[in-house]
Amino acid sequence: TFWEREKKSGYKTKLPEPSKKQMIMDGLRDLKEEMKLWRQEVKEQFESDPILVFRPGETDVVFDFKAPDVLDKWTVTTDADHGEGKSTATLELSAAGAGLFHGQVNSDHTKDGIIKRTGYANIRTKRVRKSFKRETTYDWTQYNMLVMKVRGDGRSYLINLHTEGYFDLMWNDIYHYVLYTRGGPHWQIAKIPFSKFFLSSKGRVQDRQGAIPLNRVTHFGFSVAAKKGMDGPFGLEIDYVGLEYDPSHREEFAYEMYQTPKYIVAT
Amino acid sequence: ATDEGNPKQNPNPNPRAQKPGTKNLPALRNPFAAAQDRTKNSYLTMVEIFQERDVHRRNHVEFIYAALKNMADFGVERDLEVYKALINVMPKGKFIPTNMFQAEFMHYPKQQQCIIDLLEQMEDCGVMPDHEMEAMLLNVFGRQGHPLRKYWRMMYWMPKFKNLSPWPLPDPVPDDTLEMAKLALERMCTVDLRSKITVFETSELKDAIDDTWIVSGMSPEQEKLLREHSRQKALYIEGPFHIWLRNRRINYFTLRADADSEFLSELDERQLDEDDVSHIEVPFFGRAPPRRHNQLGKLRSVHQQDDGTIMAICATGTSTKDSLLSWIRLLEANGNPSIGEVPVLFRFTSEVPAKAEEIEGGASVPATSDNSSQDEHISSRQK
Repeated sequence: TFWEREKKSGYKTKLPEPSKKQMIMDGLRDLKEEMKLWRQEVKEQFESDPILVFRPGETDVVFDFKAPDVLDKWTVTTDADHGEGKSTATLELSAAGAGLFHGQVNSDHTKDGIIKRTGYANIRTKRVRKSFKRETTYDWTQYNMLVMKVRGDGRSYLINLHTEGYFDLMWNDIYHYVLYTRGGPHWQIAKIPFSKFFLSSKGRVQDRQGAIPLNRVTHFGFSVAAKKGMDGPFGLEIDYVGLEYDPSHREEFAYEMYQTPKYIVAT
Repeated sequence: ATDEGNPKQNPNPNPRAQKPGTKNLPALRNPFAAAQDRTKNSYLTMVEIFQERDVHRRNHVEFIYAALKNMADFGVERDLEVYKALINVMPKGKFIPTNMFQAEFMHYPKQQQCIIDLLEQMEDCGVMPDHEMEAMLLNVFGRQGHPLRKYWRMMYWMPKFKNLSPWPLPDPVPDDTLEMAKLALERMCTVDLRSKITVFETSELKDAIDDTWIVSGMSPEQEKLLREHSRQKALYIEGPFHIWLRNRRINYFTLRADADSEFLSELDERQLDEDDVSHIEVPFFGRAPPRRHNQLGKLRSVHQQDDGTIMAICATGTSTKDSLLSWIRLLEANGNPSIGEVPVLFRFTSEVPAKAEEIEGGASVPATSDNSSQDEHISSRQK
């Protein structure tokens, strides 16, 4: 398409809007909290004392499933949301107190001649916001590793780092990498350098690649697909997702940046 | 070659297409659906027949799409040779653009899209193209062709992801369940490199009902933990959990004890904050202050997880209670005598066929069976 009307590319679910009165009341109720947040932000601005030294080997947890009402920060989506498949998924707290993303992926779908393949489930954090619900981004430029404590079921999951941009061309920019899970009853700590992440948009790996802009990460998520006959139950238990600075990892981008021929690339 | 292989020698077209009033639709017959023996040879023969039928090769795009769709039935969807044979159906040199306008506006779009779809199917099946395929595509579409772009992208990315998994598996995975169970156990036991995988036969035991195999994974460290396990605290056989190996799912069970909370909290205490300067102990007449904690104490094993200590993992051929009981007795007989003195409880997350009723009474193992549902199971874990 030449341009996109809205960020969901036609997949926007029309939810009924609350009444004007309700909206004013909700706004006033949130105002107190938002002012508190804003005051904090202004204070931090004046203090101008950011953390500059990131000690190697120390993991800073960003998404912790031990925190209270953590599940509200995540959105679960499957192909069934828009009637394009039959997968189901939920995110809930497991017996071990971690987040458990589980369900069934199913590659069956109605043969309507438009959908070719289906069968996925996905979780994603909500858009990061600062005070007064203004959109902002994470700033992870000081780190170079993604650290996760997970317990999977032998499937491979896709780690998605959304770096949503301003223009419609950049709305679907997602950096991916694979999370291989060992399976079994033991927890596993996966440490993935950010340099390994590659850019794709709407599920297509892009020709013009580049290292992930870590100051522009907007969402974080996991996907699982029913590809190659892997229909059936899945379960990924996530204890935390953190960041780490590893001084021994000097790689900026893991993929070659060839000079590419004109009129071939990105067409 | 069989008669079914030839699509255009069908004398009686579809009768519905000949109904009065309807437009006379062309009689199309899918030669792949009608084939008798579904092998790679018959598949390639059909492609050959189509190629040699006439010089024009009419409907070759439709033919390729039909061929792609029926690949799985013939078991050739992972065969590079077959994909090459299909690309070979395309005429050479005819679709190469001769000027920049043709190149820009996707010369012969249907044909190009068809080959792009073919390449995508290869990608989905994990078939990596080779350089001969590049030469073929160049002959058909020229350097500006979109299938070539797809090909180059595939050749850039696919080798990068092909061997990425830290737990490599054969492709395709074996059909035999025992082999799969061994692979699954090996994979789960990579957490402790000293783990040993043992294959037991239940026929080794006198009064086992099920005659099946048990693949058990246990390391010397787990044996030590089991020896040191309190005789009063129960062990749990939990499951069935599953592990995926490519597209195969294997059920497994674990032998687990509740987490040793005393030991774990002790560990937390021992982790002193070296930057904490609020409690500097003063030396007393030149003597070093006594250490508060035993710094040379026991180390935490990898099997001592926060939510339990994993003693062993197994997969059995039948996944029944009886086979699990046999597993415990085999473990007891094979170097873990202490397991006989510890109460062992079943705790299943889903229905497990019970065959163990007769054996429980006379069994030397004090194994009790309770058909707890998942809810009970979770609540008991959250105590």
